[in-house]
Amino acid sequence: MNSNVPDSKKISPFLVFFLIHTMQSGVGILGFQRFIAKTAGYDAWMSIILSGLFVHILLWMMFKMLKIADGDMTSIHTFVLGKKIGKIFSSFFILYFCLFTVAILRSYIEVVQVWMFPELRTFWFALVFHILVIYIVFGGFRTVAGIAFFSIILPFYIAVLFVVIIPYADFTNLLPIFDHSVKELLLASRDMSFTLLGFETLLFFYPFIQNPERSKKWAHFGALYTTMLCIYLAILAFGFFPEAQLQKNIWPTLAMWKIIKLPFVERFEYIGVSNWGLVILPNICICLWCASRLAKQLFSIRQKTSVPAIAILCLIATSLISTRGQINILTDYTGKVGFYFNFIYVPLLFAGTLIAKKVRNREKHT
Amino acid sequence: MFNLFKNKNHEKENLDKLLAKSDDFKCIEYFNNKTNVSFTLKFLATLVDSKTIQESVLPYLLEENFKQIEDAKQIIPLADIQLSEDISQIEDKLFTGSVLLTVSGKENKFCFLGARKEIGRNVSLPEVEFSVIGPKESFVESLDQNLNLIRKRVPVKELIMEKLTVGTLSKTKVAILYIDGITNPENVNTVRQRIEDIEFDEITDSSYIVQIISDNQNSPFPQLLDTERPDRISAILAEGKVAIFVDGSPHALIGPTTLVEFFSSFEDYYLNWILSSFFRLIRLFAVVFSILVTPVYVATLSYHYELIPIDLMNTLVASRRAIPFPPILEALFLELTIELLREAGARLPTKVGQTIGIVGGIVIGTASVQAGLTSNILLIFIALAALASFTTPVYRIGNTIRLLRFPFLLFAEVWGLLGIVVCFCFLLTHLIRLTSLGRPYLEPLYPPRMQDLKDAFIRLSFDKQRKRPFLLNTKQPNRFHKKAAKYKKDIEDE
Repeated sequence: MNSNVPDSKKISPFLVFFLIHTMQSGVGILGFQRFIAKTAGYDAWMSIILSGLFVHILLWMMFKMLKIADGDMTSIHTFVLGKKIGKIFSSFFILYFCLFTVAILRSYIEVVQVWMFPELRTFWFALVFHILVIYIVFGGFRTVAGIAFFSIILPFYIAVLFVVIIPYADFTNLLPIFDHSVKELLLASRDMSFTLLGFETLLFFYPFIQNPERSKKWAHFGALYTTMLCIYLAILAFGFFPEAQLQKNIWPTLAMWKIIKLPFVERFEYIGVSNWGLVILPNICICLWCASRLAKQLFSIRQKTSVPAIAILCLIATSLISTRGQINILTDYTGKVGFYFNFIYVPLLFAGTLIAKKVRNREKHT
Repeated sequence: MFNLFKNKNHEKENLDKLLAKSDDFKCIEYFNNKTNVSFTLKFLATLVDSKTIQESVLPYLLEENFKQIEDAKQIIPLADIQLSEDISQIEDKLFTGSVLLTVSGKENKFCFLGARKEIGRNVSLPEVEFSVIGPKESFVESLDQNLNLIRKRVPVKELIMEKLTVGTLSKTKVAILYIDGITNPENVNTVRQRIEDIEFDEITDSSYIVQIISDNQNSPFPQLLDTERPDRISAILAEGKVAIFVDGSPHALIGPTTLVEFFSSFEDYYLNWILSSFFRLIRLFAVVFSILVTPVYVATLSYHYELIPIDLMNTLVASRRAIPFPPILEALFLELTIELLREAGARLPTKVGQTIGIVGGIVIGTASVQAGLTSNILLIFIALAALASFTTPVYRIGNTIRLLRFPFLLFAEVWGLLGIVVCFCFLLTHLIRLTSLGRPYLEPLYPPRMQDLKDAFIRLSFDKQRKRPFLLNTKQPNRFHKKAAKYKKDIEDE
């Protein structure tokens, strides 16, 4: 099952930083403040730290598993569950990534429709976007990683421009600290984890990293950077909006952009929303790439066939979802699936891997 | 064996027959009175310098002690004399300007006398890549003269010049230059292999070679840098790149190259690093401005007028009040006008071209604004964008940039700013996927290599340029040895 990846197709370990960070920051980052403030109020920034910590633990587990199984997710499954059952389990992930693609793209299109173009046709935009994604994935994983790299470097100015908000914010909103119970904080950190999802793709692109041992620290840095960015945005939003007003904003990050004014730009959110297209682009590329790679490993379908096929399926699914309610159900569902996979399935699998390793070692000795 | 010999004779007769059809083919028999030997000279009058024959060949053959073909070497004062029995060489030699000498009765032995006529222009000022500071030489059409210019600048034995011939009809000579011990042999092999694989009849210029050996022929981006400056070639050879010269072309090719190299003028190396870095940044800004300004104008005025502050909006509205067209038509109209002017100007002699420029720029521009066809603000933008696209030091990339504007305009018309971002993503992907001789085209941006940024968007001082570009994976990565750590002087130290 462990297919060899030629050296020229691998990426340098330092790019893992961008891959992890870009997968974590998608549409979620535009509106996570409202969810977490719902249960934990303005103490929610502690929940971000908490779920950030969990992410690090999970990353550590993933690297451990990958090292033991020496390969990617499919080889872990084979290692723990055997060939046949492993295959069945792995094939679920094709669906998982399709679900992610649809959820990310549809919610981005919703943002565009609400903020910029109410008449934007979901189908046509999704079609052009999928053609773009196919073009990228056809360039191989190096191209995908390149897009991930630029999607962080180029819109970086937006993160810096948020500084403009600081004079308008009242950070005493955050006080008093610790007026919420531990349970509420834990619940909020569960909500937060939806935003931080995406790092599980590491399990699939791991064989494409040159010198994977050295990529560990970059992966952790990537996750750390996401957590810091979320804390930064959360604290800004908490300072900017009173608690009751925050609950009325579906996308607080976007709403904050409105205050940014330059001599020749009045409403910055137009630029921000358009730019966000570049931010979500690598997410969809990585998801589609993972799905097609799995299809190749499990059913030996050429990626050149599977990528367009999966893209067409996702395109149809994306254009069928039209109302706000449907989108909400979709994102909720995706978030839950992602949560259960990352925070329950991965630790279980980790335990399984350790047991399997013990058993094999004993077999070897006897 | 006999058959083969007969075949060869047959070949020779065939050649003579074909040649006899051409008027410039001369076959003259002479007789040396002293030794009673009759001999024949065959040559193509258009290729051969008749003065050489008259002054350095005939007098000696007729008056000296010329008995057999081997004597020619001793009596004729020419450097390029070659004795041969190989009939297959005759055609090649005759068509490169040699005179074929045979002694009657012994036709299977012959002698080639080099008497090529050199017609060509002399080394002149660089016109496409002119620089105020620095050498004023540029390449010409003659390969030998060009190689001479390089040899003079890099007088070491490690400079290798390999020669190949391509084109079934043109038999164009192509030279591959690199420095042994620095250049990665992989790059040289790639270039050699690709040039050997060229299947084409008539190669008239290096531009043919660029297009044929490019990694991706369906890309508007040039994937090999072309230059007419010998100083640039010698500098890139020292960096560890490969240069390709084509006979008959005043432009040499450089590979592997990267996108940023197209925006660096060679004059950058003649200025102080602070100044040259500043100019480079200006040029890059000009490129971005040139591509994006009209699409952004169309996007904002078609969809997002809320984006513009109220004061600026007043100015824009005032200038567009009387215009009956949507912004996209207005922009396309002006863009096409500028392209027409450029195309017309490029084909005309300099003096007429200037007149056309004035007529086009001033008369058409003012008239179209006064007639209410276009807004004067857009006119300013378009003129600036056109100006900016001409700041690129390499002519080829300027053309690419002008072309890129049109897809951006279309996307801007369809989806406004979002369309511009989508179009940008397509462009970015294309650039990430592009390679030059198998090396990433977008380096040092992607793959990110901090080390190569020292000579990309900015150019750091020469003492920071110790390492050769990482991109080239050279055999000798250091350009010079670092001096032993100097004692750092304090303020008052001597």
